[in-house]
Amino acid sequence: SLQEKEELIEEWQPEPLVPPVSKDHPALNYNIVSGPPTHKITVNGKECINFASFNFLGLLDNEKVKNAAQASLKKYGVGTCGPRGFYGTFDVHLELEERLAKFMRTEEAIIYSYGFATIASAIPAYSKRGDIVFVDEAACFAIQKGLQASRSNIKLFKHNDMVHLEQLLKEQEAEDQKNPRKARVTRRFIVVEGLYMNAGDICPLPELIKLKYKYKVRIFLEESLSFGVLGEHGRGITEHFGINVSVIFL
Amino acid sequence: IHHIVQNGGLYKRPFNEAFEETPMLVAVLTYVGYGVLTLFGYLRDFLRQWKIEKCQNATEREEQKDFVPLYQDFENFYNRNLYMRIRDSWNRPICSVPGAKVDVIERVSHDYNWTFTYTGRVIKDVINMGSYNYLGFAQNNGACQEAAAEVLSQYGAGVCSTRQEMGNLDKHEELEKLVARFLGVESAMTYGMGFATNSMNIPALVGKGCLILSDELNHASLVLGARLSGATIRIFKHNNMQSLEKLLKDAIVHGQPRTRRPWKKILILVEGIYSMEGSIVRLPEVIALKKKYKSYLYLDEAHSIGALGPTGRGVVEYFGLNPEDVDVMMGTFTKSFGAAGGYIGGKKELIDYLRTHSHSAVYATSLSPPVVQQIITSMKCIMGEDGSTLGKACVQQLAENTRYFRRRLKEMGFIIYGNEDSPVVPLMLYMPAKIGAFGREMLKRNIGVVVVGFPATPIIESRARFCLSAAHTKEILDTALKEISEVGDLLQLKYSRHRLVPLLDRPFDETTYEETED
Repeated sequence: SLQEKEELIEEWQPEPLVPPVSKDHPALNYNIVSGPPTHKITVNGKECINFASFNFLGLLDNEKVKNAAQASLKKYGVGTCGPRGFYGTFDVHLELEERLAKFMRTEEAIIYSYGFATIASAIPAYSKRGDIVFVDEAACFAIQKGLQASRSNIKLFKHNDMVHLEQLLKEQEAEDQKNPRKARVTRRFIVVEGLYMNAGDICPLPELIKLKYKYKVRIFLEESLSFGVLGEHGRGITEHFGINVSVIFL
Repeated sequence: IHHIVQNGGLYKRPFNEAFEETPMLVAVLTYVGYGVLTLFGYLRDFLRQWKIEKCQNATEREEQKDFVPLYQDFENFYNRNLYMRIRDSWNRPICSVPGAKVDVIERVSHDYNWTFTYTGRVIKDVINMGSYNYLGFAQNNGACQEAAAEVLSQYGAGVCSTRQEMGNLDKHEELEKLVARFLGVESAMTYGMGFATNSMNIPALVGKGCLILSDELNHASLVLGARLSGATIRIFKHNNMQSLEKLLKDAIVHGQPRTRRPWKKILILVEGIYSMEGSIVRLPEVIALKKKYKSYLYLDEAHSIGALGPTGRGVVEYFGLNPEDVDVMMGTFTKSFGAAGGYIGGKKELIDYLRTHSHSAVYATSLSPPVVQQIITSMKCIMGEDGSTLGKACVQQLAENTRYFRRRLKEMGFIIYGNEDSPVVPLMLYMPAKIGAFGREMLKRNIGVVVVGFPATPIIESRARFCLSAAHTKEILDTALKEISEVGDLLQLKYSRHRLVPLLDRPFDETTYEETED
């Protein structure tokens, strides 16, 4: 009844919006870095050797890079003021994409403005509800969020364990035999990283290629740490193993 | 349908919002247009399948021919047949700073938009009505740019580390204190990307067992954040307070769907200005409802920060309300400040919790130093702390531009959606053919506009969206209006049945009334 409803509304007490955090939580007081983060870094006033930033090629302090950035600042200003679709595409974006494609020896390339968002948007673009994705257990957080957003069926395999992966693929194939019509429309993907952020080792790409052709799955390769690091010229893990990059899906 | 609401003294100024209904004839013709296009689409697909016509979209590599196909035929139907025809209105490359006038690179297509070739020429001085440059801070000279250049040479271009590790520069601390002061809240926290701010912080605030009430037309980042959080989502009609109240009452009285246990928290997600409609949220009523039903409010001010309010502090100041009433104030630096990134402001406990538990603080890199400096300089300029009145002048110029532009467009007879004071002006086109025609005709006349169709808008309500800027002078606006009127006559876009009697050209003040004749 109406009166009961009013009473219920009066009585309801929600939880506080955020639970209280203790004052000496370690992440609460950040280390303040003053000055540029190069191989030496000034943390909280003390000068330390920097073993923490992802500055693999040391290009943070390179004069050529800084001069090019200054020139572009003078020409374009700081922000782009718009998404790519609505006058936010600059000629430098297009040039960068062409150069990336040529360097990585692929047909085309696309760039995103935020590293985290790249793989988290790419996975849901291809893998929808009902598709099957085989993921390494030690995949980084961005991949996990991308998979959560795509709502596909996720099958985890033990870190760098090709035997376990093959087992899972065989199980999947057996299920496909039972329902061939559905199997013809579900897409299958494997998501791996070139250099794992959580574990620090490399994925065994040649075996993955063999599995790919045997079981007909497509490979997503995330090279945010191995780009510029592995391989003779820095082209990443495909050059490191000597594999033609067109075998990789993305 | 005009709403002029002065609801029990909650609103201190008239709230004029109008969404004129689609004329019946236009709706019918639009559906007919889409029907014809669909028929042709099926015909072309048939020809392509039987190899009579060459297939030009991406095809599978030879050895992968027996893999499961990536795109189901029907999913891509819209893309192949409708979007490809008018694709040249989007992704137009530019090669200068996106200010009031911009240089667009010319491109032609010899095979009906499947591929583009660049002719090498540049169309100079195109009037830019598409970039989100509300206060005109997209500049390549001036105080902002010099400060950013200095910081670039001093700190380098990037940070290469997450916020919790070595990524917290002293510049970030300075920026956060400044943002908190600007908004009038206790503290604030900044992130590298506006979209990611929403999608990574809503999951940190709510989880399973909580309820999210979100507006019909919320942005994709809010929808993604709500879905990733795992809470139950209920949608209320756009800006409709009765619908919201009904949902709130039902939620508290009935509890969770199956177990009938009470909800842990209720979070209302709204935006300051909705970018496709141009409407402003009815904030006084939302806050009254929120207080009555003890729920929490998350306000996304991506477009409204810097653009509304007498000193540019956003939609809270526009309505004259207390910023402490809004629990979580979120916004982006991309639009009015000419930089990149997002922020969240609120009480100190909230921000402390986000510093420890937000996904972005732990896993994603922080803002890069020159961008931080650009935000600091532009924010100080808006607040007036750098000693000049440039900030205030920009905000006032934007308000005048908005009123003038909207009034003139209404006088000409176009259907314009949205609130009188919002700098986002959607002009209705409706028919699919006019989308492409409008974009191309305006570019021929040296004006760059943004046209949007399905799936960003409902299928028959496609529109052209103008984004006004403080950098547009009256002459630029007059030129643009003249060209828009010409193109409107050419394409027969003047659908409106409410004709305004043109006012004398005197400055707008609160006591003038407009007469409408139907």
